[in-house]
Amino acid sequence: MSEKWIGLDPTSGPLERRDERELRPRPESLDGHVIGLVANGLGRGEELLDRVYHGIAERTGAAGAVRVLKPGVSVPPEPADWARLTSEATVAITGFGG
Amino acid sequence: MAASVLQADRREYGSYDELLEDYFERGWTDGLPIVAPTPEKVAAFLAAAGLDAADVVGEVPTREVVVTAEQAAANAVMAGCRPEYMPAVVAALRAHLHEMGNCHSTTGTLSGAAQAVILNGPVRSELGVACGAACFGPGFRPNATIGRALRLVIRNVCRAIPGVLDRASFSTPARYQFCFGEDEEDSSWRPMHVERGFAPEDSTVTVASVMNMVSAVDFHSRTPEGICDSILGVILSRFVATDRWLGDGTNLVLVVGPEHRRFFDRAGWSKDDIRSYLWPRFHEDGKRSVGLGRPEGLLIVAAGGDGMGESWLLFPHLAWAITEKIV
Repeated sequence: MSEKWIGLDPTSGPLERRDERELRPRPESLDGHVIGLVANGLGRGEELLDRVYHGIAERTGAAGAVRVLKPGVSVPPEPADWARLTSEATVAITGFGG
Repeated sequence: MAASVLQADRREYGSYDELLEDYFERGWTDGLPIVAPTPEKVAAFLAAAGLDAADVVGEVPTREVVVTAEQAAANAVMAGCRPEYMPAVVAALRAHLHEMGNCHSTTGTLSGAAQAVILNGPVRSELGVACGAACFGPGFRPNATIGRALRLVIRNVCRAIPGVLDRASFSTPARYQFCFGEDEEDSSWRPMHVERGFAPEDSTVTVASVMNMVSAVDFHSRTPEGICDSILGVILSRFVATDRWLGDGTNLVLVVGPEHRRFFDRAGWSKDDIRSYLWPRFHEDGKRSVGLGRPEGLLIVAAGGDGMGESWLLFPHLAWAITEKIV
């Protein structure tokens, strides 16, 4: 006698999801760009990002930096910091860890 | 509840073995065999919790994930739960998915944090949850399967899969499951859920993130102060993770074993007496060296078995420990 088993899919869907939002094209040069630096508060991340910025500025002629420190490693920047980033910065650098 | 209301895709197999191998192949297990989540079993679990398939248990906004009761039930079946465990599983999920439980971080972290599921109240005796000897380990179906159900939801629904949104460098065996109860009957102390504002007759689940766990072994002290000093030494040797967003709500869980409890009992020390002793010592030299915002942030739980002079510290990842009532 053959048995039949029905199993339900226990997942929230396939892992491969298409995001309708598109990334903006990467700039060909950082010359004249204002760089957003988004630090997550871990370790010496702010210092690291600052050094990265100065290294970039020396090589590319970047026009300035907008520095943001997130309130926590795992949460987005505060709304006012988001506003500063989107209104003042033209590119942004961040990192992760923890 | 009619199985027809279930929304998940159905797959048909010629045998249980065929189903099991397909679930392994699809990455739908934790690497261990599962119970087949048939529509009938899933419906029975939903009925046991009084939930509809589409009821929302919680969300992970950063992952654009909504956890439904049907998904929770399917994973609880797979974990090996009995239907009567389902309300506890749902409460554990609600606690885990609470905003300040910070589940995106605790399940994605490089540190491979686990989730401790701690049961209080009558549910422990109703389900047979182990609270005493060997309660952290294998051998107890409610502990093993309630903890595993939470982890399977984290994997299958919340997408914390190694190499995808689980970025752990090593991970931990506690990510298979980590669930135990407070030994309220063998303790003179107020249970943790009562300290957190629930009634003694309430049944609750507390979910605490665990970045690492360390035993405070002390065979020699015969005084509360001596045992507290040993515990303090372990706490000060480690890192209690916190940040500005978590504010003063961070928790550290201290699980006190019976060999240590007997010395607290003899001296008439309550859980608050332990906190009163430890708290100022967290701030020696005028600076806060332990990342807790207030004394109650130290959650104290009575558990474990006789023989070993030890207590355990469950150090958190970036999250509050959240307690939910089982309904």
